[in-house]
Amino acid sequence: MIDEKALFQQLRNPSTREAAFTKLVHEYQEPLYWQIRRMVLSHDDADDVLQNTFIKAWNAIDGFRQESRLQTWLFRIAINESLNYLSGKKQVLSLDQPEGSIADMLASDSYFDGDEVQQQFQTAIGTLPDKQRLVFNLKYFDEMKYEDMSELLGTSIGALKASYHHAVRKITSFFEDND
Amino acid sequence: MNMTNDSRQTVEQLEDKLFARFGNERAFTVPDGYFDNLTGKVMSRVMQQESLNRGKKRKSRRTAWRWSIAALLAGCVAVGGLILEKQSTLQTAEAEDTQYIEDALDYTMIDNMSIASYLTEAE
Repeated sequence: MIDEKALFQQLRNPSTREAAFTKLVHEYQEPLYWQIRRMVLSHDDADDVLQNTFIKAWNAIDGFRQESRLQTWLFRIAINESLNYLSGKKQVLSLDQPEGSIADMLASDSYFDGDEVQQQFQTAIGTLPDKQRLVFNLKYFDEMKYEDMSELLGTSIGALKASYHHAVRKITSFFEDND
Repeated sequence: MNMTNDSRQTVEQLEDKLFARFGNERAFTVPDGYFDNLTGKVMSRVMQQESLNRGKKRKSRRTAWRWSIAALLAGCVAVGGLILEKQSTLQTAEAEDTQYIEDALDYTMIDNMSIASYLTEAE
């Protein structure tokens, strides 16, 4: 387990900053990657967004005031980067048929290991609005508590519960319509 | 498993059905050794960015320095112009004052004979 206080002090000091940041990247790269990957789906995109996340974090170290944990701060940057990436991608691509495009993308992705059922599940999740999808992923896959999610996303627990419930109902009705 | 449309089902029940049908295991993979090389790759990009940032800071300092010198020169020119303008105004005012004083002195030096002669001529 990383000592965040010590690491923070090292990050503040220009002479130890690079080594401390290397430690930070090593510690959080994997959980951040999976969080991003569930949002953007493709490995190449997740790799790009992850690297941008760390670059943003590096540039913003001086502004970090320890009001939250380093981990929470990094996750927030990663979430913002993922949402920005998705909104930029939507402006470029025509997403008239998002369900079809997600299924096609997953089918041709050599780093998607799921069977057809998993492909359908990701397609159903992909029909959710981005922020609702984020809440669904955090609760369903990461089993994150609403309290932690509230701190991470700066949203009330009530709103998060409503968002998750809505997402579960939408996914269920997706399969009712398609089964 | 068939998911029936039952509005009385709670979200927990619906969630259980999703778990039973799809689980919550990761269906994504990464290239072999991806995470082993990731820190190095990320740090290399971060350092590249840092070097760009330093370049930008240096350029920005140089630009600021150039602008400071230009502003200083413009200030000197403006102040010099103002001084010259002021001096010219002062000189004009001084000249006018001198003329006035000389006229006044002339008048004070007029004797009674000149006044009588002036009045006689006027008649």
